[in-house]
Amino acid sequence: MMMAEEPGSYQKLREEGQYHIGAEPLNITFNEIGRRGQRRLDGYEKATGKALYTRDMHIPGMLYARVLRSPYAHAKIKHMDTGRAERLPGVRAILRFDDPQVKGRDLNGSYFAQGWARPKLAGWALKPVHLVLADEAWYEGQPMGAAIVAESEAVAQQALSLIHIEWEELPFILDQEEALMPDAPILRPGAESNEIHDPRKFYEVGDVEKGFQTADQIIEFKARRRPHLWAGAEMPSVLVRWLDDRLEMWVHQQQPYIAKQLIAEWLNLPMDKVTVNTVYQGCSFGGRGNPANHSENGINVLAALLSKITGQPVKMLFDRRDTFFGESGDISISDFKVGFKNDGTITAVQMKNIFAVYLAATGIDHFVDNTRIVNLACEATPVDVSIGPAWWARCEHLTSCFSLTLVFDHVAATLGMDPIEVALKNDGTHGHDTGYLDQYKREHGFPDRDSLKECIEVGSQAIGWKEKWHPPGTRKLTNGKLHGIAFTWDHNWDDTRGTGSAAVMIENDGSVTIIGQHVDIGPNPWTPLCQIVADEIGVPFESVHIKPWTVDTGFVLMSPDGSCNLVTNGNIVRKAARKAKQMLLELAAEKFAVAGPEELDIRNGVIFIKADPANSMLVREVVAKAMPMHVSGAFWTQPPIIGWAWHNQGIWGQANETERPRLCRQAHFMEVEVDPDTGQVEVTHVVNVNDVGKAVSPEGVEGQMYGGTVMGVSRGTIEEMIWDPQTGVLLNGSLLDYKYATMLDCGPIDTPFIETGLGHGPYGASGIGEATATIIPALLGPAVYNAIGHWVDDFPITPDKVLKALGKIQQCSDE
Amino acid sequence: MLNMTTDSYLCPYCSVRLDTFNLLKAHVRAEHSTDPLPLPEGIIQLTINKQAYQLYVEPEWMLYYVIHDRLGMTGTKMFCDRGACGSCTVIIDGRPVLSCMTLAIECNGKTIETIEGISADHHPLIDAYIKHHALQCGYCTPGFIVTAKALLDHNTHPTEDEIKQALAGNLCRCGTYPQHPKAVLEAAHVLQEGR
Repeated sequence: MMMAEEPGSYQKLREEGQYHIGAEPLNITFNEIGRRGQRRLDGYEKATGKALYTRDMHIPGMLYARVLRSPYAHAKIKHMDTGRAERLPGVRAILRFDDPQVKGRDLNGSYFAQGWARPKLAGWALKPVHLVLADEAWYEGQPMGAAIVAESEAVAQQALSLIHIEWEELPFILDQEEALMPDAPILRPGAESNEIHDPRKFYEVGDVEKGFQTADQIIEFKARRRPHLWAGAEMPSVLVRWLDDRLEMWVHQQQPYIAKQLIAEWLNLPMDKVTVNTVYQGCSFGGRGNPANHSENGINVLAALLSKITGQPVKMLFDRRDTFFGESGDISISDFKVGFKNDGTITAVQMKNIFAVYLAATGIDHFVDNTRIVNLACEATPVDVSIGPAWWARCEHLTSCFSLTLVFDHVAATLGMDPIEVALKNDGTHGHDTGYLDQYKREHGFPDRDSLKECIEVGSQAIGWKEKWHPPGTRKLTNGKLHGIAFTWDHNWDDTRGTGSAAVMIENDGSVTIIGQHVDIGPNPWTPLCQIVADEIGVPFESVHIKPWTVDTGFVLMSPDGSCNLVTNGNIVRKAARKAKQMLLELAAEKFAVAGPEELDIRNGVIFIKADPANSMLVREVVAKAMPMHVSGAFWTQPPIIGWAWHNQGIWGQANETERPRLCRQAHFMEVEVDPDTGQVEVTHVVNVNDVGKAVSPEGVEGQMYGGTVMGVSRGTIEEMIWDPQTGVLLNGSLLDYKYATMLDCGPIDTPFIETGLGHGPYGASGIGEATATIIPALLGPAVYNAIGHWVDDFPITPDKVLKALGKIQQCSDE
Repeated sequence: MLNMTTDSYLCPYCSVRLDTFNLLKAHVRAEHSTDPLPLPEGIIQLTINKQAYQLYVEPEWMLYYVIHDRLGMTGTKMFCDRGACGSCTVIIDGRPVLSCMTLAIECNGKTIETIEGISADHHPLIDAYIKHHALQCGYCTPGFIVTAKALLDHNTHPTEDEIKQALAGNLCRCGTYPQHPKAVLEAAHVLQEGR
């Protein structure tokens, strides 16, 4: 099954008007949309423990599978003896790398994505060999060699330990700068260097040299971000069974439809013979969102093969150590050179980023999307090293947020200026100032509001910016700690990509069902969809339900990633609801004997004649009488009202490819206390102000804002994966050793969002899922600078780095 | 199950050794005729959510595995795999305990409460957690609620700080932390009203 590599140009889609650019006039009344206190639809199941996750699934006769992991950072199997494992009672089958089903077979086939994201380049495929079961390991912990299926997980695990392997150990490299040295061993066979080819390596707009010439001052600095992990709550697993030539799966997967596509291609099955079920997903953040990675399609393929061999259902499980793959894609060493005027106007930004095992961002994007800076240059070099392939986890914008915050705050610090002023001086898009944005807003039906200014006003008041901001290193608290306060800003984002479909059916009793495959990864996605449908049709929220699970409904909502959950799916269900309403009103027009549906409307479950509201019928009365079938003397009806819709929200990214500039902004403020004796950084207060355009579910918005803050503070202060330089083995592959924030690790978080209607989603909504967790980590940098008067541009900002910056120690722990 | 050695017979009730099988029979008739049958090796008795269970366990089985995999009470969750996150918390004899770090065979005779029991009792924590959105993906939620329930059993008027300390051993990757004290305080209030 070969599929086209290019899905068609977005130009064509745009010319054909398949997605909308600009605000839509509001023509409904918000009753349920935006209402606080709406009971979340997933709440009962989750709070009572009744919610089932992939790992909880169990079917009779189910076997358990585990895959071998490489104990070496780089090694090849010379000889593998599985005899003892085969003889262990309870072992049902062993699939070896040299078995004909898998020998020499790549994990991913022709289909995944276009351009730089195609599987030969992206994610797992960044590694030089991307076999489904390789005989060579390119990082410690790589799934490879053999997979075992047994009566229990314990037996499968024991059998793995009985496999005897003669290894040929090969050279490994952990550091991306070291990998680029001329005498470094080449990790990829046949390559000339460890650099991974990226067609987008060089980016330049304007003329940076000219920008530097016109600058009053130029600064240069170096920054580093070390590896961290998505570390979701539910460990990956998949449950698979065959029914003749049909495959049924329960996957832990953010993008189940793509999972279906990939495995169908691998197994050479028609897609309609594959059923992919999705139950609740215990976190994801993108970590379960790259179907091309071995951790996703790989385990699906292996489980399917083992199920075929044994003739029984097979569940393949990861343990926690196995989940330490796919670091967030911002492992970077960056050099910045920035030119600026004395009034804060930035004239040129030049950056060089060296990324480890990553190929999905350059680091310059937010300067393009978000500022009026004319001269920008970026050299992004992805490098292969001997650690697992990185992938975007909340989210691929990490690198851009990192550079934007550090550049702006370094400039402000050099000038001794309030960073808020520097932000306002440079806000814009694609080299244009805010005047250009204002014109765009007017031309496209958006309100003429200055989102950044509004966010800053709300946030600076909430944190007391004017009273608290002080020159760096000048405020010592009575507890002996140093107080720091910082500000950063960015555009708010949804990547407004994706397509999807859903149906809205009005049942005979007037209740409404939304039908569409959709996975829940946590942000309360279904309640707002029901709120939208309720208001669009004119029925109470309580009468709307969603059946979101199996793909076999035939309707597939957009996968919850790219902060596109609601902005895409909200539009889908809105369209479907409008169609269902239209059909309902056409039928009602007959019952009311009026000229047409335009004479009617619906409110709170009651259909009425607009000109004579007392003349009304309940929705259910109209539906039940809509299309009777005369059967044996009685009247029966089938549910007659259904509307379904397909919607394309865009291809990828607003500014770059759809020419929809990002109009919503966000402002973030943080206070820290730094202990000058221990170097400990304590985050005592965070204020996030996101312009979310329109909050369909206010509690859902706030949940993403404080939840992302906790994750961001954790990433900025604690989280780091550490490999042993002598062996290349990951040293902290457990949640005891890889720490992340608990309830005690972040002070109060304020989340006063604003709603300007400037988003490209339904009702002017913008995405919220990714922004906060992605921006907050870098904000630790200026906050610590403001406290101690020295920059620590090496993240996470751990106590040893603070002490070194304060001159109290000579060396950090890893030097 | 009789434990026979070459030269003696072990009483399955009280482990006394007797020289012949006939002596053992006489001993059992005299001393244990009204006792319930002795439990075979590996069988344990548990009271879980007020129900009595008698089941066979292997010596290395963890309580989590028995509760989640064998008994199908899937509200007890495996998250960190190693005693770091609190998602597998159950209440044993009034104390919150990590079931992934507890050998099932050591729980013989214990009284255990899981999230299923807490929700069956309509504990106000359930509604409070839903109302305050103290959950996102929901995977860690039962562990938080079980831990909070153990707190409220001992401390009917917890302060916000006491709640934070009690729940600090539970990890939530979605970052729902700010909502938990609100939910627990509300549940404590509901319980006080009901008293």
